[in-house]
Amino acid sequence: MFRCLTVLLLVFIPMVFAVALDESGQGKIFPYTINQVTLDNGLKIVSIPFESPGIVAYYTVVRTGSRNEVEPGKSGFAHFFEHMMFRGTEKFPEQKFNDILKSIGADNNAYTSDDQTIYHTVASAEALETIMQLESDRFMNLKYSEDAFKTEAGAILGEYNKNSSNPFQSIEEKIRDAAYTEHTYKHTTMGFLKDIENMPNQYQYSLEFFKRWYRPENCVVVVVGDFNQDKLIELAKKYYGAWEAGSYKLAVPAEPQQQAEIKIDLPWKSKTLPILALAYHVPACSDKDIDFAALNLLSLVTFGETSDLYRKLVVNDQLVEFVEGDMSENRDPGLFYVFTRVKDPKNINVVRDAIYGAFGNAATTKVSEEKLASIKSHVKYQFAMSLDNPDRVADEIAHYISITGDPESINRLYAMYDKVTPDDIMNVAKKYFAPTNRTVLLLTQEEKEVKQ
Amino acid sequence: MKTITLLLALTIVLMVPTSELFAKDETGLRFTTISLPSSPLIAFRIIVRAGSINDPKGKEGLNSLTADLIANGGTKDLTYSQVVDKLYPWAASIDVQTDQEITTFIGSIHRDHLDGFYKLFSELLLGPRFDPADFQRVKDLHLNYLQNTLRATNDEELGKQTLNAMIFVNHPYGTTEDGTVQGISAITLDDVKNYYKTTYTQANFWIGLAGGYPDNLQETMKKDFSSLPAGEFKEVPLPPVSPVKGMEVTVVEKPTRAYAVSMGFPISINRKDKDFYPLFLANSYFGEHRTFTGVLMNHLRGERGLNYGDYSYAEKFVGGLGQPPFPRVNTPLRQQFFSIWLRPLQPENTHFAIRNALFELKNLVDKGLSTEDFEITRKFVLNYSKLWAATISRRLGYKMDSEFYGTDYFIDRLDKELRTLTVDDVNAVIRKYLNASNVKIAVVVDEGKGKDFLDAMIANTASPIKYASAVTQNILDEDKLIEVFPLNINKEQSRVVSAKDLFEK
Repeated sequence: MFRCLTVLLLVFIPMVFAVALDESGQGKIFPYTINQVTLDNGLKIVSIPFESPGIVAYYTVVRTGSRNEVEPGKSGFAHFFEHMMFRGTEKFPEQKFNDILKSIGADNNAYTSDDQTIYHTVASAEALETIMQLESDRFMNLKYSEDAFKTEAGAILGEYNKNSSNPFQSIEEKIRDAAYTEHTYKHTTMGFLKDIENMPNQYQYSLEFFKRWYRPENCVVVVVGDFNQDKLIELAKKYYGAWEAGSYKLAVPAEPQQQAEIKIDLPWKSKTLPILALAYHVPACSDKDIDFAALNLLSLVTFGETSDLYRKLVVNDQLVEFVEGDMSENRDPGLFYVFTRVKDPKNINVVRDAIYGAFGNAATTKVSEEKLASIKSHVKYQFAMSLDNPDRVADEIAHYISITGDPESINRLYAMYDKVTPDDIMNVAKKYFAPTNRTVLLLTQEEKEVKQ
Repeated sequence: MKTITLLLALTIVLMVPTSELFAKDETGLRFTTISLPSSPLIAFRIIVRAGSINDPKGKEGLNSLTADLIANGGTKDLTYSQVVDKLYPWAASIDVQTDQEITTFIGSIHRDHLDGFYKLFSELLLGPRFDPADFQRVKDLHLNYLQNTLRATNDEELGKQTLNAMIFVNHPYGTTEDGTVQGISAITLDDVKNYYKTTYTQANFWIGLAGGYPDNLQETMKKDFSSLPAGEFKEVPLPPVSPVKGMEVTVVEKPTRAYAVSMGFPISINRKDKDFYPLFLANSYFGEHRTFTGVLMNHLRGERGLNYGDYSYAEKFVGGLGQPPFPRVNTPLRQQFFSIWLRPLQPENTHFAIRNALFELKNLVDKGLSTEDFEITRKFVLNYSKLWAATISRRLGYKMDSEFYGTDYFIDRLDKELRTLTVDDVNAVIRKYLNASNVKIAVVVDEGKGKDFLDAMIANTASPIKYASAVTQNILDEDKLIEVFPLNINKEQSRVVSAKDLFEK
């Protein structure tokens, strides 16, 4: 009577992390087999068997994000285009597309970031062919009217609006805009507000955007869960075989080296505690460059919950609500952020100086082997414990495919973490945190609010 | 006037269900377990059967602050920092989720580290340090959350909490889970210690355990947790929820560029009741959270581009900005409510969008689902619900919630009930529990704009939508009806407030 998931105890059993936790660092962090097949048109199919009886996660990675928005006035377009991908084709108009997904009970959505646009579905393994039929059709034959395009622009503005009271949206916008002069990381994935508001007028450009980026050589299909490999590849050839490869070459402008410290004051209308945000230019995500791995660990050594700075500012002196360091994992050189929220405006300078002091300390004092081992263990267990269902596995793999194009980079990157020494951490602390490489933003409540 | 209101309330007494929680073993402790020996992970969900409804008057926030201080404090032997140092290399954390009825301590650990983790987890719960410096740190966080986050930087949550306070006016559910500004300000460390002593008893503890835990863990826990005082479980009695009379509107003013809307009304059923399941299906058809399948999403966002998303709920739903799409577990309520959530709208289209949502709700009540809508939605819920308990921790949470309500495992019961439903059952339940006339509405608007906004709603001023693009004639024809769709605003019960005055006491 019903086409329904047949497995009653739908709890997924993650693999034992014996390999992931190999302290010699010789093993692979990722405990599952990664199959890779490339079709004649360049489309790569990455598949990972996972013990999730009756369930499959189906991801399509488009290696295009806001990084690709090189033309003036087009910021936010990759994200906008992600929305248009739900507007249907001749064969499966929007309503029919939604009805089919509804009938199979799929969890289906998408997201866009700096370097990628990711379409994701989790559903019954029995529905694999249906999903592939729907996905291949919209990637090859998307069709929407100019009116539908303009209507969707309203939803984009709505998405911007839903975060607009959150100061961190504005902080990210201001920092990127100031820290970058040439590279497209200058704008957030949402885009500049003026470009978002102009989106309804960009229908023609949207057609060009689809032609450029929604091509097999720029996409990777990731399937995780309960499937038959031979059948999967047979279906992939059937449904994606006719997809024509593209030829567009992207030239993202390189970011010149920052020459002087940049300071930004951001007054905020709503009631708020002061927020201090710092950003430093750092290298791109890499599974070969030790600096990237060392910077990632530095963010935990210097700003993590077990760091001296955290203990001082959050736990002992209680000058801030939180402090955190965040190393971007980007395809091109990104930013190393530090964020903190200061409890009393009179302590802003003390807090800022303590953060600068922590960077200085990292550049002159080696972290102990014991502490570094604890942090490496934390990073590995955190990753391994997160891989507890097919959706999470697909999402992690999709992220690294976006950045390097190769799912195996996940293993190489975690192997790099194992190799990082206290000297490496000291070296990157010396190399990347000079004041001339820094953007400092201070968000404070507007004066009139303070007087109230 | 007050007397009349009370009489009205008494004539519409909602059934006040009692949770069927505490059948205990000989130790006085209750366990819920799911053994999966092949799993390398062990999930703990340790519930203390007390929530914000247990907060003493004038100390609203005490339950939440106590729980947070336990999860983010030290043990008798270890300071908070020393606990963090021990947990860190295992990437383990001890989280706490405070809600109106219950408080849940949540932990997950790889079996390699189970012994060390359990020792810390149990010592935190059985012998919390209650260090004055930790108390101050956690108290500051709680106060700042209400003053600087909820009131200022998260309009969607502000709208939801305002609606909660409206629906549960003069009711223990009516404050936020984290209390009030004055309540938190008044709490001392001695209050926390006393609350712990009287509330963290065997009678209130309910231990959930799932995954690849060893056979002897349950026995160990029984022994260890028996050191707590026996205590006595006393369920907080709930008064009837006030009936809604017309449309009662609270307009909240704060600086904002877009307007958040939440609306709803109490319903007298929950997961225990047979009628809940057809209502659950109807709600999925009308506004399934974070999907493109619901009526609201299709009409407001899909056809009109009004905002980012539009959903509805047949029970309390915790989630939103940055949250996963599936329902959070361990947020059960004995008294439930139906609600609609419209994500922030352009100011000029907000009045229209409220009308649009209520217009669709009226259509749902008047016309119900077609047989085709019913069949496709049933198929959807049957399949989609199987994705909600994908991890051992979530499955454990669902199991404990089901026991709270005194019903079978929720996802199994949903399956069983849906298979025997008919479209007529669903439409009858819609007519019985839903309506588009008596609704409480919370709207978050920009500073200084509240009075005009409320006046326009009261006066039923026409509110034509402003489009950026052409839409079909069918939609334009429907818009003509929606822009003047009458809203029966109860002027006496409607008001404009400043966000900075909310959740004060």
